[in-house]
Amino acid sequence: MKPLLIIIFTLISIIPPGKDFYICKNAKISLYSSSPLEDIKGVTTSGASVYNPDTQELDFSVTISSFQFDQALMKEHFNTDYLESDKYPRAVFKGTIQQSIDITKDGTFPITVTGDLNVHGVTQKRTIPGTFTIKNGAITVASEFQVKCIDHNIKIPQLVFHNIAESIKMNVVATYIEYKK
Amino acid sequence: MKKPLLLLTLLLISFYSFSQKAGSSQDSLLNSLSSDNPKEPVTIFKSTLLVLSQTTETVKKNNLNFLVIHRFGDFAGTNGGGQIFYGLDAVADVYIGFEYGITDKLNIDLGRSTIGRLVNMNLKYALLQQTTDNSSPLAITLVGETGVRTYDSYHAFSDRVSYFAEAIFARKFSSEFSLLVAPSFVRDNTPIPFTVGNTQHFLSLSAAARFKITKHMGFIIDYAHPFSSFRSTANGFHDPLGFGLEMETGGHVFTINFTNSRAISEINYLSNTQSAYSKGEYRIGFTISRMFDFNHKKQY
Repeated sequence: MKPLLIIIFTLISIIPPGKDFYICKNAKISLYSSSPLEDIKGVTTSGASVYNPDTQELDFSVTISSFQFDQALMKEHFNTDYLESDKYPRAVFKGTIQQSIDITKDGTFPITVTGDLNVHGVTQKRTIPGTFTIKNGAITVASEFQVKCIDHNIKIPQLVFHNIAESIKMNVVATYIEYKK
Repeated sequence: MKKPLLLLTLLLISFYSFSQKAGSSQDSLLNSLSSDNPKEPVTIFKSTLLVLSQTTETVKKNNLNFLVIHRFGDFAGTNGGGQIFYGLDAVADVYIGFEYGITDKLNIDLGRSTIGRLVNMNLKYALLQQTTDNSSPLAITLVGETGVRTYDSYHAFSDRVSYFAEAIFARKFSSEFSLLVAPSFVRDNTPIPFTVGNTQHFLSLSAAARFKITKHMGFIIDYAHPFSSFRSTANGFHDPLGFGLEMETGGHVFTINFTNSRAISEINYLSNTQSAYSKGEYRIGFTISRMFDFNHKKQY
């Protein structure tokens, strides 16, 4: 029996201890579109994100109907007319950080994340720049990027008075906590 | 030696499968983190008013909805036709109104009609909202209205007053189809019209539906039936029936409609609709609404 035990212990020690996930369920995601008549700003603080330090995978998911606007009608139009949130309730990004990061060291690093962005049921391959900050073990990811309505089959009718820009500026800030498996 | 070997193999397999799972567990973790707030209220109608009926929708807090409603003269019949440009030269009724959201669920409305020079004040309360998870399958909104006929001579002020109370039940059955049914009670302190045999109060039932045509356009149909033996066809009364095309353009909702009802206010059209489709006494009408939002510069 002894050799077996040895083998098992060796195996256990060889397999690297799986690093924990880092999670965020209050990512602040905002969108901004400027138009001749009025600016459209929406924000949610209930975006979800998971970061896996083993694989450098970085995923985001946000519920469309959680975006709040400063006008009730904008929220209504955003959900029913543009993003059709009853059909496509979430926007999801599944990506991988291209740089290797040592999460034990403090610092701010520019990153690029490559992956699939699914908005309005249409998936686009995207490479999105951002910053990755480690401070006293806490991880924060921030990014600013553009989403083109046409890329995600979001149609803007000619009849609408407050026209929406063809491209929407997105802003994402997520602070992660360690998640024990 | 055979047993330990088996154990070892099993152990290895379990380790292997464990490391393989890491990818998919990230997905399920992400799913568990994103809350899909399943209890979002459903917007059943695009506007607070169809052709004749008010809907279950309320104006949101600190929003002001400005309404201009117009009904032209008879399209055809003895008073219509080409000489008055199919009614467009004449005015049957004009309503100017404001709807203000005290809270998201409680509205106060103020309006004035040409017919009867009726000034009305409403309180509208969204008692129940239909939710996306169907835990509440329908919406219920209560309306209480007081109308005062501001001109003509009456013995006492109370004779000028009419009341209207309504419970609106509505449901969005699909993204294409919404339906409302609304029983109501009308009380006219002075019966409208003021003729022998008319009563001061009666019950009424309204039904209306909206069919989506495009994202910004819908077809609406609207009908009301007063339960009043006096308001019979023999006495010259007809049930109000309207059809409309509702167009939404950003902050505006524009409705163009056809109806036999001359009046816009419920008190007027439920009490006194004596025009009939069969006699060409139907008319073009329109509703324009503009929503103003005073919630600007909210901090976030």
